[in-house]
Amino acid sequence: MNLTFNGYERANGEVGIRNYILVLSMVNCANTVAQQISWEAGVQVITHEAGCAEFSANHARTRLALLSAALNPNVFAVVLVGLGCEQTDHNSLMEEIRAAGKPAEYVGIQEERSPRRAVEKGVRLVREYLEQAERQTRKPFPISRLVLGVQCGGSDWTTALSGNISIGEMTDLLVDNGGSVIISEVNGFPGSEHIIAERAVSTEVGLAVIKMCDELREEHLALHGQTIEEVNPTPGNKAGGISTLVEKSMGNVKKMGRTSKLQGLIYAGEHVPHPGLWMLDLRAPVIDGNVTSGFAMSGAHMNVFSTGRGSPLGNAVMPVLKLTGNPVSYAEMGEFLDFNAGVILEGTPAEEVGQALLEKVISIANGEQTRSEINGNFEFIIPRENGR
Amino acid sequence: MRALHADPADNVAVAVQPVRAGDVLSVEQELVVTASEEIPMGHKIALRDIPAGKAVIKYGVPIGRASQDIPRGAHVHIHNIEDITEELCKEYDAEYRRRAGAK
Repeated sequence: MNLTFNGYERANGEVGIRNYILVLSMVNCANTVAQQISWEAGVQVITHEAGCAEFSANHARTRLALLSAALNPNVFAVVLVGLGCEQTDHNSLMEEIRAAGKPAEYVGIQEERSPRRAVEKGVRLVREYLEQAERQTRKPFPISRLVLGVQCGGSDWTTALSGNISIGEMTDLLVDNGGSVIISEVNGFPGSEHIIAERAVSTEVGLAVIKMCDELREEHLALHGQTIEEVNPTPGNKAGGISTLVEKSMGNVKKMGRTSKLQGLIYAGEHVPHPGLWMLDLRAPVIDGNVTSGFAMSGAHMNVFSTGRGSPLGNAVMPVLKLTGNPVSYAEMGEFLDFNAGVILEGTPAEEVGQALLEKVISIANGEQTRSEINGNFEFIIPRENGR
Repeated sequence: MRALHADPADNVAVAVQPVRAGDVLSVEQELVVTASEEIPMGHKIALRDIPAGKAVIKYGVPIGRASQDIPRGAHVHIHNIEDITEELCKEYDAEYRRRAGAK
């Protein structure tokens, strides 16, 4: 296996696997103009329902999410689109993006005196950036520079058994070669903290995992009046063959691989401090897009997503490699799935499938389009924690 | 017909297709097991006799405790596994904190 990929070097020394141009709406009033720019110019856009009249803690998260998406290493340049009188200070945001060495310009609808002219200006800017991006050539880098998010959703009985096990094998291979993998979906960890803590690189990290699980249990009890154990596994889980919470939780843990040590916890907007396996402690509502966006905010290049039932999930600033552990799903839903891990059920050793998955990751890092990109799935959600 | 061994230490395997009583499932090269009852797809089958009170092992870890004697070949699920997650985590958390010298 070739342990290098061809990426785009950024001015601040980071490496991207794409040269995306991002249209970034500052406020909900600018969403339509931002969308029209993205449609006409054929690039990704992030819109949202916030950006004005927000309480400061809520607005801090809005700003962090927009800035972190713009700073993702896959983004070459950014066009910020605002109304003009919004709460989001586009100038400070633009300065921070430029400070990272990325071209960035602002389009104000009030300033242009016309939504149509704002769209035209935005499209012109995007096209200039596309030309600049086109001129940049890829250079070889070791796979130790790669940062992947790993996740599952739209699960069935194969997700833990073949999907997540193949992700785990790939995790160990990439981490052994000096790369980084981020896990999250923290609501799935209470019930297996006794297993995760043993995988921690130090007792401090082990205790941090236990503390996080204790807090998640308390939050669950305060919010729902029932313990996590009382409502898990769910009737649907049981029908699928899951008997206990440890068993359910282990499906999630399998994405950590068998040998990689957990280096520590990171929080929204933080990048991994050094390579290895990390946990993103993001306590946002359990929606797939929240976790995916959290990985994008932590500078992940790609998300590797395991789904048994199938999901079209994508992300505005990252390719999402979707695999399924279910050979039937792969045969029927190839239009939005990239990789078949279901061969494990037919007898192929998990190590072999994990190796093939890493090869697919490297190919995508080199520029192969994922189904999420081909299908135009470029979602982004601002992940809100504790309602903020 | 096949059953998947998620970890070599496991005393259960997962049926990868619907199984009827009498079906012979191959788990690994040397390991076959005959189902003594119907096992739905994705559900577990016992690879050894698991006496009441002993751990059911999947993914190489105890996922619960046998609430009755489970004979080899039987369907292993909520009717014969006790969920001891809370107990496992509480005992472990206390023990880990002790070891770490934390409060």
